[in-house]
Amino acid sequence: MKLTAAAVLAVAAVACTQKDPTSVDASLLPEQPVTVEVSLPWQDFGSNLGYYGGYGSAAQTGTGYVANDFGGKLTARSLVRFGGYPVSAVVLDSLGSQLTDYDLTFHGGRVVAFFDTLGSVATKPITLQLSVLRNDWDVRTATWTMAVDTVGNQTPWGEPGAGPVEDLTTAVWDPSTGDSAVFVLDSAQALTWEDTASVGTASVVGARLSALTPGARLKVTDVALRLDTRSSLRPDTALVLSVDRSDLTFVYDPQPAPPTSGIRVGGVPSWRSVMDVNVPRTLDGPPQLCAVVQCPMTLTKDEITYAALVLHTMAGDTAYAPSDTVYLDARPVFDRTLLPKAPLGGSMITSGLGRRLPPSLFGADQGAAVEIPVTSWMQAVIADTTNTGPRTVALVSTYEPLRISYASFYGPSSTLAPTLRLVVTVGPPVEHP
Amino acid sequence: MNRSSTLLALVLLAATPLAGHAQSILSAAGLGFPVDAVDARAQALGGVDVGLQGEAITAGDPAAAAHLIVGTVMMTAVPSWVSYSNSATKETGSFRAAPFPLIGIAYPAFNLGVVTFSFESVLDQRYRGEEAATVSLSDTLLAVTDSFTSAGGVSQIRLGFARAVSRSLSVGLSVGRYGGSLTRRLVRTFNDTIASSALSRFQAGGYWDYSGVAITGGLSADLGTVAHVAGSMTWSSKLKATASSDTKGSSASFDLPVQVRLGATGILAPGLAINAGFTRADWSSIKNQVATGTVSGADITWGAGIELSRASFLGRRAPLRVGYRHSDLPFSLTGSKPVETAWSAGFGLVLKQAQTLTRSALTQASVDLTFENGQRTDGSVKESFKRLALTLRLTGY
Repeated sequence: MKLTAAAVLAVAAVACTQKDPTSVDASLLPEQPVTVEVSLPWQDFGSNLGYYGGYGSAAQTGTGYVANDFGGKLTARSLVRFGGYPVSAVVLDSLGSQLTDYDLTFHGGRVVAFFDTLGSVATKPITLQLSVLRNDWDVRTATWTMAVDTVGNQTPWGEPGAGPVEDLTTAVWDPSTGDSAVFVLDSAQALTWEDTASVGTASVVGARLSALTPGARLKVTDVALRLDTRSSLRPDTALVLSVDRSDLTFVYDPQPAPPTSGIRVGGVPSWRSVMDVNVPRTLDGPPQLCAVVQCPMTLTKDEITYAALVLHTMAGDTAYAPSDTVYLDARPVFDRTLLPKAPLGGSMITSGLGRRLPPSLFGADQGAAVEIPVTSWMQAVIADTTNTGPRTVALVSTYEPLRISYASFYGPSSTLAPTLRLVVTVGPPVEHP
Repeated sequence: MNRSSTLLALVLLAATPLAGHAQSILSAAGLGFPVDAVDARAQALGGVDVGLQGEAITAGDPAAAAHLIVGTVMMTAVPSWVSYSNSATKETGSFRAAPFPLIGIAYPAFNLGVVTFSFESVLDQRYRGEEAATVSLSDTLLAVTDSFTSAGGVSQIRLGFARAVSRSLSVGLSVGRYGGSLTRRLVRTFNDTIASSALSRFQAGGYWDYSGVAITGGLSADLGTVAHVAGSMTWSSKLKATASSDTKGSSASFDLPVQVRLGATGILAPGLAINAGFTRADWSSIKNQVATGTVSGADITWGAGIELSRASFLGRRAPLRVGYRHSDLPFSLTGSKPVETAWSAGFGLVLKQAQTLTRSALTQASVDLTFENGQRTDGSVKESFKRLALTLRLTGY
């Protein structure tokens, strides 16, 4: 019986490794499909281009900006709050034991501002002003004119532009030498942001960073306060203690006016451009297509090889021109009538973080064609035969809001109007041999 | 492993009888590559399964089961290793295959005769083709790969009855139903991207179910103790390939040819026999019905072999066999007349044997193993293959 069992297993084992005969002989293939490209002008697919602004606030970017007459008009200032001052420090005695010193004396310090060297626009050293901001302000709603702009509290600044302030000191940032500027504080200035009434808690007093040198736009990634102190237990020991930053935002002026033409995406608060897209369901050309199938042909989702909205970049207002990579996304709008608060669907771009565009496309290389691949979305729309009407699409920043700059594209009235690019693959039916 | 589990293993294997892969690139021609649905013994003796001495469950010789006295299950697996070349395209390649072309069950029925049930591969239509190409768009060239897959084939479920009319004459009749299916799929894959976005691959294809009926009648006779002769004939209805509802391609039907088989075995000496046989099927009637390849006409297979049945191994009966086979294949890729030839050698081994009430030997389990070395030629296409046929036979269930 063992032999019989072995024979059964042997029969089963012969099917373990298999490989079909594969040939590269084209004659073994049925008639090949054709892949053709179709470009639809705006009037054949698009309509109702609109703009909506006000999405998000400066505080959500987690960054600040400083600018002075950048692009001939933009002024921006960063607002900072620091956390509570340290109340103790650990020092080592002569025997190496740790001692906690609760009697700290601050005899100086520094405010260090860090900049995004790629996201900043500065070609020469920039003089910066550090000021003390004693007005109360709301990090989430502060604007150029309003210190607080919540539902129950609208408080304007004493002076537009986050003022009034007490100037503290200045520093120079040279973009060619590093990524930070250091404001040196004396012993009195170092105590500016200490809440003496409630030791260890954050002060309501803030700091304002502004640029004195015109023509630059700096992106502030962080602001730090470092305090120099000396231990009362070991006077020969110098300590540098850091104070956490609790708030960082920025205010700027002027706010960009709504576009009169073209497409705008991004900025702070962020802009969205919305359009209706009438997805083509039949094609009557080009000739290569009609040579293979009967035209007009009804498109199926499987025949959509690639679909993309094609936009042409435009150099917009220099003050708000992108200086770093633009992240562009397209998302379906569920109900246009609910705009600007209509919920958006997921990204129509399947490749990661949306479409990434270099900033040069909005400057020296403006007019470049930029494709936003929407293949999967278009396949899904074509597969949905119950709703054949136009679909609303929002062009948005992938991260919203992200930067003070926004991206501009030519609109429908331009010769570089948006187009819809389709790559379609069709083939004759596969027949029985 | 007891008898029940052995039988269960066979049933599980039989559940996917066509799960194997293709045996030849000629599967791409016409209706496919004709499958030799014969057991390992017949394979070793020239590949013609008619006119061989002894009991068998075989499609070509329905009367061969007439003398089975107990239930029998047999199954054949045929792994093969094929290398091919095309002198016209300078293409070479190799592939492996492991189909189960024949599974059979026989059971004596109330002393009236023997009922047989078998499942056989008939036509193999499995192959793949690939071609690299470029697609020109307005601003770029895209590299694409068109790959085509044909999967499936025609199979047959057959119910037969064999009866010994006398000690020397047996008759058999079987009714078969063609089945199986074919899936053909063309895929265009884009190897490039546009705007960092992958392009959706294009797919087109179809699915067809096969149906049809075949009736086979056969006769075998012993001419004294020196010879055994047999013949059979198969008539088939049209083979219908019915497209599924979502298949854009059309349904089709094909006239299957009448197949005639004749074979004989002569006893040269005690324990030494020689056999020869041939089959003929004229496929020329479907010349205008196939879309791929050409129909070369008549498919004639002839083969011959010698069996030394008294050989033994480790005290067990282990017959030795050699044979040669020549087949004119019905479908061509190149328009020429494709031919397959092969030398074969094999042996059997009785694994378990008992005695009947009359004290004659009853084989309860045996295996037959055959090695075949052959080649196929179709114009510029040449294939050389090595093939193993392994048949397991269990009786007494």
